[in-house]
Amino acid sequence: MSGNSDFIMVSETGWRRGLSNLLDNEFAGWFKTKMWWIQCLIWVSVTGFMLAGVMFSADDFDFKEGMMLFSIFIGLFPAIGVVIIMQDALVGEKSEGTIAWILSKPASRQSVILSKVTANSLGVMVTMVLVPGLFAYGLFCYYTKTLMDPLPFLSAFGVVFISHLFYLTLTLMLGAFFSARGPVIGIGLGLLFLQQYLIAAVPLLGYFLPWKLSVPLNNETDAIVPALLRGDPVTSFLPIGLIFLECVLFVILTLWRFNREEF
Amino acid sequence: MQEISPNVISIHGLSKIYKNVAALKPLNLEVRQNSIFGFLGPNGAGKTTTIKLLLGLTRPTSGSATLFGMDSVTQSADIRARIGYLPQEPRFYEHMSARETLRFVAKFFFKGPKKTIEDRIVEMLELVDLTEKADRPIKTFSGGEKQRLGIAQAQINYPDLLILDEPAASLDPIGRRDVLEVMSKLRKYSTIFYSTHILDDVQKVSDTVAILNKGVLVAEGPIEELLAGKEGIVYSIHLKGDGDAASKLVQSQPWVKTVTTGFHGSETTLQVSVSDPDAAENQLLKLLVNSPVVVTEFRLKQYELEDIFMQVVEGGQDVRK
Repeated sequence: MSGNSDFIMVSETGWRRGLSNLLDNEFAGWFKTKMWWIQCLIWVSVTGFMLAGVMFSADDFDFKEGMMLFSIFIGLFPAIGVVIIMQDALVGEKSEGTIAWILSKPASRQSVILSKVTANSLGVMVTMVLVPGLFAYGLFCYYTKTLMDPLPFLSAFGVVFISHLFYLTLTLMLGAFFSARGPVIGIGLGLLFLQQYLIAAVPLLGYFLPWKLSVPLNNETDAIVPALLRGDPVTSFLPIGLIFLECVLFVILTLWRFNREEF
Repeated sequence: MQEISPNVISIHGLSKIYKNVAALKPLNLEVRQNSIFGFLGPNGAGKTTTIKLLLGLTRPTSGSATLFGMDSVTQSADIRARIGYLPQEPRFYEHMSARETLRFVAKFFFKGPKKTIEDRIVEMLELVDLTEKADRPIKTFSGGEKQRLGIAQAQINYPDLLILDEPAASLDPIGRRDVLEVMSKLRKYSTIFYSTHILDDVQKVSDTVAILNKGVLVAEGPIEELLAGKEGIVYSIHLKGDGDAASKLVQSQPWVKTVTTGFHGSETTLQVSVSDPDAAENQLLKLLVNSPVVVTEFRLKQYELEDIFMQVVEGGQDVRK
C-alpha cells in the first residue's frame, strides 16, 4: 500500500465540504441514467401531445385558448411529478440508510441538502419545463405558420419553474421534518389540489400559493403564465417574488431541521 | 524507554438518552493508536450508539469525545476525513456498481489524479476480492459481498482510524474468516475500533477490549489481562500421588496467594494463584517434580473471553482494569 501523498486532496471546507461530489452524484442521477429522457417523454406526452390533440382535432381552435390550456397542463401535471420524485429524495434515503452512510464521510449536511435542491431543480427545469415547453413552442409555431417571439415563452417557462420549485422545496422540507412517505406526499399533493379552494376562501393566499401562477381561478386574466404567453397585461408580478421567497424559506427550514436530524 | 502511543479516541462522560431511555450512560474510554480495539456487548448494549456519537451522526446528551484531539461535535467533518466507517448493515446506492461506489466515496477525499484514484479503487477491490464483480450493480450482491464492499469503501482513504460496526455479524463462517483476515491485513496501517458480539472473533484479532452492557462500561483492558481473570496469574496443575502433601508444600511458598484443591479419582487438581509470576514460573514446577508426586498436567490457566463476558454481562460485575 502506498500513502495518500500521490493524491490531490479535496479542498472544500465548512458548509461546502463534499458539495462537488454530491452535486456530481445528484446530477448523474438525473442526466447519466434514463431518468432524464423518461421524464422528458412523460411531460412532452402529457402537455405537448394533449395540446396537439386539441390543436389538430378542434375545428375552431383558437391558439390563444391553446396557450391557456398549455399553461394549465404544464403548471399542474408536472407538479404532481415533482412531489412524487421529491418525496423520495430525503425520506427514501433516510429509510434506506444511504444518508447516514454519506454523512459518515467528510460531507457537510448543508452540502447534502444543497446538492439535492440544485440538481433536482435543474432536472425539473430541463425535463418538466424546458423540453415540454419548447415542444409546445414548436407546435404553436407550426400551427400559426410563424416563428413566434420566444421571449414571452421563455419568461413564462421561468414562472412555471418557480411554481414547480415551490413544490420541490416544500416536499424536500417535509422530507426533513417527517420520516414516513405518507405525510410528505400527502401534504404535498393535498396542497396542490386544495389550494384553489383555499384561495377562493381567502383571496390573499393567491399571492402565496403557486396555483395562480399558471392556472386561472376566477377569470382568464388572473394567471401569470397564460398572460405572458398571450401578451396580455399581467395583473401582478408580486406572487412570483413572494413564492420564490417561500422557496428560499423552505430551503432554510430544511437545512435547519436536517442539521438537527440524528441518524 | 518505550514511547507511549497517543490516544486516537478519548471519551469523557459521553452519554445518550433517547426519549428518557439511557442508550449510553456516561462512558469514559481511551483507544490507543495502532490498536485493534474490540468493543463488545450484547445487542442493545449501546455499541452502535457510541459509534454514531463518535461519527457525529447523533449528538451526545452529555460528555464529549475527541478523535485525533478534535471534538466529535464541532469538528466532525475534519474527523471523518481521517476515518473509515463500516456500518452494521452497509447501505449503498443499489444501482451503482462496486467500482462506481468506491469512486463516489473516493471523491469525498481526493480530487485527482484520475488514474491514481482508479488505481486505489482497483487495489481496494483486490483487497476484498471483488475484482470480478466490480462492475455489477450492487443490487445483485450477496450480504457477504456487500459487507466486503463496505470494508473496501471504509478503507479507500487509508484512514488513520477504521470504525467497524459488527463487521462480521451477518456473515457465514467463511465470510467471517475473510473479514477477520482483511482486518488483520489492515492493522499495520490503521487503528481499528470495532464493535461485535462474536467473542471468538475478538479473541482472534483484538489487542484491547471493552465490554459494554446496558449502556454501561463493565470491563476494559488489554485482552491478555482480561483473559487472566480477576485472580491474576493462576496455574492449573493435575497430579497423582499425595495431593494433600503437595497442596501444603505449594501453599507454604511465599509467592503463593491461594491454593484450591480438588480430587478426581486418583488424580488431584490444584489451582494455584500466585503473587510473583517470575518466582512461580521458575520454581513451581521444579518444586512439584522434586516432591513424591507425578505431575500429569501443568499449565497457566487462561479464561476464555466468553467466561469473562458471561461474568460481567450476566453477573453485572465490573472488572475494569
